[in-house]
Amino acid sequence: MEKTQTGAKPASRDGDGPANAAPQRPGLPAMLLEIPGVVPALSFAGFVALWWAGAAWNGNSIQLPTPPEVFGALVSLARDGELFTNAGLSLSRLIVSMSIAVLIAVPLGFWMGLSETLRRYVDPTIELLRPISGIAWIPLALFIFGVGGVLPVFIMTYVAFFPLVMNTFAGVRGADPKLVAAARTMGVGRLRITARVVLPSALPTIMVGVRLALAGAWSAIIAAELIGAPTGLGFAIEWYRELLASPKVFAYVGVIAGVGYLADLALQWLQRRLTPWTVGGGLS
Amino acid sequence: MSATAARAAAPARRGARFDPRGLVLPLLALIVWQLWALTLPHDSPAPSPARVIATFIELVRSGDLPSALAMSLGRVIAGFATGLATGVTVGVLMGAFRPVRRVLEPIIESFRPVAPMAILPIAILWFGTGTPAAVSIVGYAAFFPLLVNTVHGVSRVDRKLVQAARTMGVSRPRILAKVVLPAAMPSIMLGARLGMSVAWTAIIAAELAVGSKSGGGNSGGIGSMMFVFYAYSVDLNGIVVCMIVVGVVALLIDQLFRAAEARLLPWRQ
Amino acid sequence: MQAVENAKLRLKDVTKTFIAPRTLKPTVAVSDVTLDIMRGEFVCIVGPSGCGKSTVLNMIAGLEAPSDGTIFMDDRPISGPSAERGVMFQDYALFPWLTVQDNIGFGLRNGTPGHSLSAGEIKDRIEAHIDLVRLRGSEAKYPHQLSGGMRQRVALARLLANGPDVLLMDEPLGALDAQTRLILQSELLRIWGETSPTAQRKTAIFITHDIEEAVFLADRVVVMSRHPGRVRALLDIDLPRPRNEHVRTTQRFGELSEEIWQLIRDEALEAIA
Repeated sequence: MEKTQTGAKPASRDGDGPANAAPQRPGLPAMLLEIPGVVPALSFAGFVALWWAGAAWNGNSIQLPTPPEVFGALVSLARDGELFTNAGLSLSRLIVSMSIAVLIAVPLGFWMGLSETLRRYVDPTIELLRPISGIAWIPLALFIFGVGGVLPVFIMTYVAFFPLVMNTFAGVRGADPKLVAAARTMGVGRLRITARVVLPSALPTIMVGVRLALAGAWSAIIAAELIGAPTGLGFAIEWYRELLASPKVFAYVGVIAGVGYLADLALQWLQRRLTPWTVGGGLS
Repeated sequence: MSATAARAAAPARRGARFDPRGLVLPLLALIVWQLWALTLPHDSPAPSPARVIATFIELVRSGDLPSALAMSLGRVIAGFATGLATGVTVGVLMGAFRPVRRVLEPIIESFRPVAPMAILPIAILWFGTGTPAAVSIVGYAAFFPLLVNTVHGVSRVDRKLVQAARTMGVSRPRILAKVVLPAAMPSIMLGARLGMSVAWTAIIAAELAVGSKSGGGNSGGIGSMMFVFYAYSVDLNGIVVCMIVVGVVALLIDQLFRAAEARLLPWRQ
Repeated sequence: MQAVENAKLRLKDVTKTFIAPRTLKPTVAVSDVTLDIMRGEFVCIVGPSGCGKSTVLNMIAGLEAPSDGTIFMDDRPISGPSAERGVMFQDYALFPWLTVQDNIGFGLRNGTPGHSLSAGEIKDRIEAHIDLVRLRGSEAKYPHQLSGGMRQRVALARLLANGPDVLLMDEPLGALDAQTRLILQSELLRIWGETSPTAQRKTAIFITHDIEEAVFLADRVVVMSRHPGRVRALLDIDLPRPRNEHVRTTQRFGELSEEIWQLIRDEALEAIA
């Protein structure tokens, strides 16, 4: 039998420095890159520089305005309040249609998850309608509702409906039967099981559905407002294109991204509040 | 109690068998719609199932619908191909090389909430109201699902598989081609399916908007056809035909991609 | 004790320190491991979870570099992975998109082992290894269509087809049920070359947490301890080869198992506390 040294020895044999020194120490520039926010800031700087160079090379501010021109347009739109009016209108339409869609789709999906009979009746109809995109409803909806604020709300509600109903259904169906069985063995009643076991189990999936619905609705609102509303972000962007006021067009594109991003951020916050036991979120 | 358990277990295989109960609602809707239409005066523009069918036959016979459909599909394929090439290339680079990902991710993420439709005014500024504008919007729309899923697939490749290849003396470029790409393939295929579905939505939106905003319906395609029915000939039956065609094409595209997935990825459970 | 010049692998004062990504606090995973492994020797490494067994194996494979110390193979320091040292991973790491035969042929077609071989020779070698691990009839199946035991044999065939000098196995039987395990242990010894003279056997390092598995397979057992991972003891397993199922019932087998158990017992208890 052979024995190797088993006694404790310091891990590092450099002699100098602490015993457990890092094997390789990154240089100062590399360490700066580790500070959160530094790399994104640098990428944005690079992006803006590229954009600026492209605009300067192109030399046509109608085709591609420079970053200062767009920023100036943004400031002036903000100053006269037009920006907030349009963003507020679009956002309130988004909130109204999301609320309607949640009120219809979540109970329906929940019921479908609980009742196989209902699912058999309703599911094929949903599957028939789902491939028809919300956008394709715009001409018909124009006839029914005319140009105005109702059209975008209708289109967005339609778009938001499908991910909501499908995710709610999937969440209810995905509830672990063992948890339900466990609750039953503890003598919990049916209604209570639904409220205390099935709903919490389904909630993470439902929240993912809400975020998907929001992304879809926000993408549809631009088309709906662009074609069929006299106000809102989608309308404004197209209005300024016709006027060839490109800096304002680009400024509004930025606003659309910003509002969409903030809305998703709000939902992520809600998701963390409602379902703190799920890590991450599961979208993207 | 055991009966309910059995019934709850059965629906796991969705659509495995035809269930006539599913037809009740659509048929009911059709009947109500047709009966309602019968009460209207004869020259009313309101659509009815019978008139929709008649309009469909007429549009197919005249060749208008097939040529509009061909135009839209051509644009979608061109735009999707662009989105596929750029999305997968950038996605592989971002997924395989962390520095690339760290640099590009903030920019990509900030463009993601910009709907393709918001790009439309810019596309018209750059390319006019013809096919190039429509193709670029479709490409933009298809790019993100492809990119996101490619990055996801490439960066989540099982490290053990890469290590296994390294212990067999396989070179790094070959590992990328023979291990990383095949392992990411299911994700990439999913991205392609999602990308194609948003591309089809985007082309309808683009054609519709171009038709409505450029003053004429001359850009062609099925979206533009719908707009002509809305704004010029006031043909609601035609609009409904177009809607149904849009839905059926979306369904067919989805089925096609699923079939391709099953064909190309036989190794998945 | 064998002559040192026979050492196939030499680990000299090998230490591995990890830096925790968030806290940036260094953790010593493996500390001062010195070990010589002879040509044709079957060595098992046992120890409680967290003792750095897998880290040692990964360093020998060249997948990780020691923070300190050096590992030599044939007196040359190891600087990276190489097909001379084949690895069998814990959950096999089979390529799910390749059939059994393509998995076995992966290294031959894409890596260094196949560089001097023609397509025909590669084909023959794949066929031979399908037979060696008794997978005839399943060669066109995908991994997900196979049982755990069959997957394990595919991984073994893939390992051997590349013709490595050293076999590195990281708990390759860990995921199997008890009966399959016993059968595959004997199978492994057969394929390793238990019946051949020592000179023709491959050098094998096998990680396990199963003490009886280690005693059954090994010429020598390395017992490791935790916090930090270091070699606690080396035991020669003086059971005669070729070994069969009866060896498990011998008194000596029980004594050796008991001795190893006493060495790791306290820490194993600590690990579950």
